[in-house]
Amino acid sequence: MAGRSYKTEAIVLRSFRLGEADRVLHLYTLDRGRVGAVAKGIRRTKSRFGARLEPLSHVQTILHQGRGELQTVTAVDLVRSHRAAREDPYRLGVGLVGLEAMLRLYSEQEANERAFSALARFLDLLDDSPTRAPARPSLDPLALAFQLKLLWLSGYLPHLGSCTECGSEGPVVGYSPRSGGAVCRTCAADALTLSPAGITAIDGLLRRPLAEAGAVPLSERSAREALSVITAWYEFHGGFRLRTLSA
Amino acid sequence: MFGPSVDNLVAQLSRLPGVGTRTAQRLAFHLLQVPRDEASALARSIDEVKERVRFCRECGNLTEEELCGICADARRDHSLVCVVEQPVDLVSLERTHEFRGLYHVLGGALSPLDGVEPEHLRIDELLRRVDANGVQEVVLATNPNMTGEATAAYLADRLRGRVRVTRLASGLPVGGDLEYADEVTLGRALAGRREM
Repeated sequence: MAGRSYKTEAIVLRSFRLGEADRVLHLYTLDRGRVGAVAKGIRRTKSRFGARLEPLSHVQTILHQGRGELQTVTAVDLVRSHRAAREDPYRLGVGLVGLEAMLRLYSEQEANERAFSALARFLDLLDDSPTRAPARPSLDPLALAFQLKLLWLSGYLPHLGSCTECGSEGPVVGYSPRSGGAVCRTCAADALTLSPAGITAIDGLLRRPLAEAGAVPLSERSAREALSVITAWYEFHGGFRLRTLSA
Repeated sequence: MFGPSVDNLVAQLSRLPGVGTRTAQRLAFHLLQVPRDEASALARSIDEVKERVRFCRECGNLTEEELCGICADARRDHSLVCVVEQPVDLVSLERTHEFRGLYHVLGGALSPLDGVEPEHLRIDELLRRVDANGVQEVVLATNPNMTGEATAAYLADRLRGRVRVTRLASGLPVGGDLEYADEVTLGRALAGRREM
């Protein structure tokens, strides 16, 4: 069967060396979701791809689907380089958390326009987001809000209004990854403890637009609680941990 | 398919970077056809290199002595240290004949996505070297890609206040046409323009 080419927008999630001068790219594309592709000769200084295919780059690309599992990049135009995010260590740390979350949560070759738009929006906002160093990038409000929204898009919106175990309206005091939401004191065995401020912060990060993540009242304790809810979800439902969250 | 010894050779060769099963088979058949002396010389040289070659105590370059030829050379500028990711980068810089200082080989670049953290690289050795050996300038020559830039930024932060830190300039390749330059490289070339 002859191969065929198609044009799509894509965001570079990851790249690693292949052979003499090539790279394998993990792309999240608008048309086909997650795609693996080879960029031939990209490591040579005179490569026609230049610096357009660095991780975080948002590009318009032509991919050739041959017989193999990996597709081949045949042309690239830059939509946004996200250089500002890549060249600041703190912002890069936030960006890598987002990229790794995409890599783990969206591993299928299946188009998801909302996930693509969320990722593109996250990176656009990251370019202009304030550097909060020496704080940990994993506690950044934009990183937390983006991951919570990805969970939402994956169909796992954490229920926070009432106890997910018994349904009581009483005050919720923890988060249970098994039941997928907040739990009251009676049902809180084995649950993560959450403060009222932590629950309000998680709710704010979930419901407000990504652009307003920085405006959500978020103490360090609340940020840690939001992060613990996210990591508990990853471990319980996905069976994985993000390396960038432990950095 | 060709007997256990050929299969084993193909399996061993296909473990090399960039060598797939088909290339490994081609190499194996080539080795079967060359005179025995030639094949034995290859086997001996692999054995010898594993036996003799180690990392330089000072810079991490490959050497057969305690110190590599560059670190042991008194004519080189010992107050200037160029940091590279791999020994192969050092070879490229040496080919320029422009640099007369010493080197420091990190052994890779920071990559949180791949689990490469500062403690996996020879960063503490670099800091100790800077503090102990009267180094006045550290040139960061990590690759101009995401992991290389992140490593350079991290090192610049760790070295700040101890020593002068410089970064290799980035821009257009000599001999190329501006017309074909990508936006990111051209943008950096503009940002780093110099007065003439």
